[in-house]
Parts: sequence; C-alpha cells; structure tokens
Amino acid sequence: MAMGIGFTIGIFGGLVLTHAAYATVQYRGVLKIVDEEFSGLPIIVVAELILGLCLCFWAALTVPGKFLSILPDSEENRPVALPANLDFMIFNHRGKAVNSLTNDKTS
Amino acid sequence: MVVAAEEKELKRLETQVENGGGGAWDYLCLVRKLKARCSHNVLKFGLPILKDPNSRSKLGSDEWTLYEQVAIAAMDCQQLEVAKDCLKSLCKKFPESTRVARLECMLLEAKGSWAEAENAYARLLEDNPLDQAIHKRKAAIAKAQGNISSAIECLNKYLEIFMADHDAWRELAEIYVSLQMYKQAAFCYEELILSQPTVPLYHLAYAEVLYTLGGLENLQMAKKYYASTIDLTGGKNTRALFGICLCSVAIGQLTKGRNKDEKEASELPSLAATALMKEYKERAPDKLPLLTSTVKSMKLFS
Repeated sequence: MAMGIGFTIGIFGGLVLTHAAYATVQYRGVLKIVDEEFSGLPIIVVAELILGLCLCFWAALTVPGKFLSILPDSEENRPVALPANLDFMIFNHRGKAVNSLTNDKTS
Repeated sequence: MVVAAEEKELKRLETQVENGGGGAWDYLCLVRKLKARCSHNVLKFGLPILKDPNSRSKLGSDEWTLYEQVAIAAMDCQQLEVAKDCLKSLCKKFPESTRVARLECMLLEAKGSWAEAENAYARLLEDNPLDQAIHKRKAAIAKAQGNISSAIECLNKYLEIFMADHDAWRELAEIYVSLQMYKQAAFCYEELILSQPTVPLYHLAYAEVLYTLGGLENLQMAKKYYASTIDLTGGKNTRALFGICLCSVAIGQLTKGRNKDEKEASELPSLAATALMKEYKERAPDKLPLLTSTVKSMKLFS
C-alpha cells in the first residue's frame, strides 16, 4: 500500500521533471522568436525542477524498502548469542535417552 | 554471530511452521545461516520435505544441502535409520566426495563406534592431510569419549597450523574453562578478541575468566573488559553491568586500607547500578526490590 503511494509519487515527480524539460525547450524557442539572449530560466520552471527533484528523492528513498540499522549496538544488530560450535558437535548427549523414550511412544 | 533481530525471526518462523503456516524451508535456511543447533526441529520440518518428491524437486540443487542438514540433525537425535537413508541418497549423488565420507564417519561416531570412526578419519586425512573439518572432528571424538586431555592436545596441534580458526579457539577456551584452567582459557579468549574485536561476547567471556582468576590486576582488567562489552552492546548486556558492580566491589575490598589516595574516583559502578535498576524496572519489576537491596549492600552509591 505504502509502496504503491510512493511509486505513484515517484512517477508524478518524473512527469514534473519532464514537464520542466519541455518548458525549458519551449522557453528557448520563444526567446529565439523574440530574438533575446538566454540569461536564465523563468522562476516557475526552477520551482518545478525543485519540486520534481524532491518528489523523486522521496520516492527513491521509500519505495525500495526501509533502511537497515548499521550501528552494532542497535536493537536489531545487538548480538545475543554465539552460534553453536557445530564443527565440534558431539552426539553422546542426553538426546539419546530422550529420543528412545519418544520413539517408544510413537511406535 | 546471532543478532537479536535474527533470533526473533527464527522464533517466529518456528511457531509459524509448528502451527502449519508453512515456511519450513525458510526456517531451515535460517537455522543453517545462524548455525543454530535445533536438531529436533530440523528433523521434524526437514524430513517431510525430503519425503515428498514434489517439494524436494522444487528445491533444485539445494536438495542435497537439505539432505546433509537432515542427516546431521538425525544423528544428533539418534535417529540413525533416517541418517542412513539420507547418506545413501547423498552417496549415490556424490560417490567420491570427502564431505559425504565425513558424514559417514560422523554416523559411526553417532553409533558410538569410536575406533572405526577414528580409522576412517585417518584414512580421509591420508588423502587430504589439511582438511580442517576432519581435524576438528578428531578433537570432537576425543571429547566425546571423555578424553579431554587428548582433545586439548589435538586442538593445540590443530591451532598451530590453523591459527586463524576462531571456532577452534573458542572450543579450546570452553574446554579449558570446564577444566578450571583459567589462565589458559584467558589466553584463548585473548586470541579470540584479537581476531574478532567487535564481538562483545568474547570480551564478556574474557572478563569473566579474569574475574574468576581474581587478584587486583586481573580484576581491574576484568572491569575494563566488562566496560568494553557495555560499550559494544550499548549497555544492553545485563551480565556485563553486574560484572562492573561486582568487580568494583572486589577491587574496593582488596584496596581497602592501603593507599587510600589512589582511590579510583570513577562513577562507572554507580552508573552501571543505575542502568541495572532501570532495566529491571522495565522488564522485571517484581525483582526490583531484590536488586535494590543487593546494590545497597554493595555500597556502590557513595
């Protein structure tokens, strides 16, 4: 759901940017007709560019997913246990006795 | 290293599979990734996948990994028939593999026929004298037979060749601790901290060994390592917080009377005690009076 919204906003931002590009081309065309030097973009196009940039930024940051914590002591990254030392696992433990009991029950 | 989020995920998946919600394969993958030893669950969830040809073929080449995983789990649960069946399929697929041969030796171990297993491992080592896993198994056999001293000898020999193997260092450290040979264990933990300085659990274990050894110098070192554990875990490790309190009490008792001017004007123990109180208040309010009286008797707050 949230991803859908982000995606739509991203597409909208892209459209805004394309429109800004289109407006720039148009503006230059008009300048050529009235025979004036190109000195800068009209303020409305600049505003459009900034808006499009913000929207695209926002979409790019939200759509792919959440940021993962990189701090080693954050709540998710906190190490809680060492892995079992499986290379050195040995089999003569109480599981033997427990298992013979459960086997009797099932068979 | 098992981090908090993954541990939670493992528990969630386990209950999900147990209640018939599916996701058995994800669970098994996570178990492999975390190197957790939940053999009964692996057997319970993995065997149905292997028995069903449909779901087995869906796994593709991962099928053989699952065979290996279930085989080891079955040995751990003493379901030797199941393990034998798994090994038979693996043997058919990879007739020349050392990895499968090692599994067969492990089956011998699980049966308890130590001499045969040792001979088999020796034969495998002839072909490939630097196979780390087999060297480790040899140490494990010695430990399983209760022959701890030869296990230590084996591990020491192994560590002379493969010094960077932190699992082996850890195993050796744990064996030494079980024999109360704390000095040797401390050496092993130093190696572990050197090779993986960001794992707070090694710092904690080292601090505990030093605290057990006792003596002023060791206690001060222990306090430092407890502090580094707290630093690395962001103060979430209750054991380290308690360690700080106990260390400073012990140091206080040892230095009582002599050179009073050198008194450590550190607020670390009282801070640790405050953090402990806060944590207890949040997570176990009914135990709080117990803690308060303990902390009071330690006289940490001046």
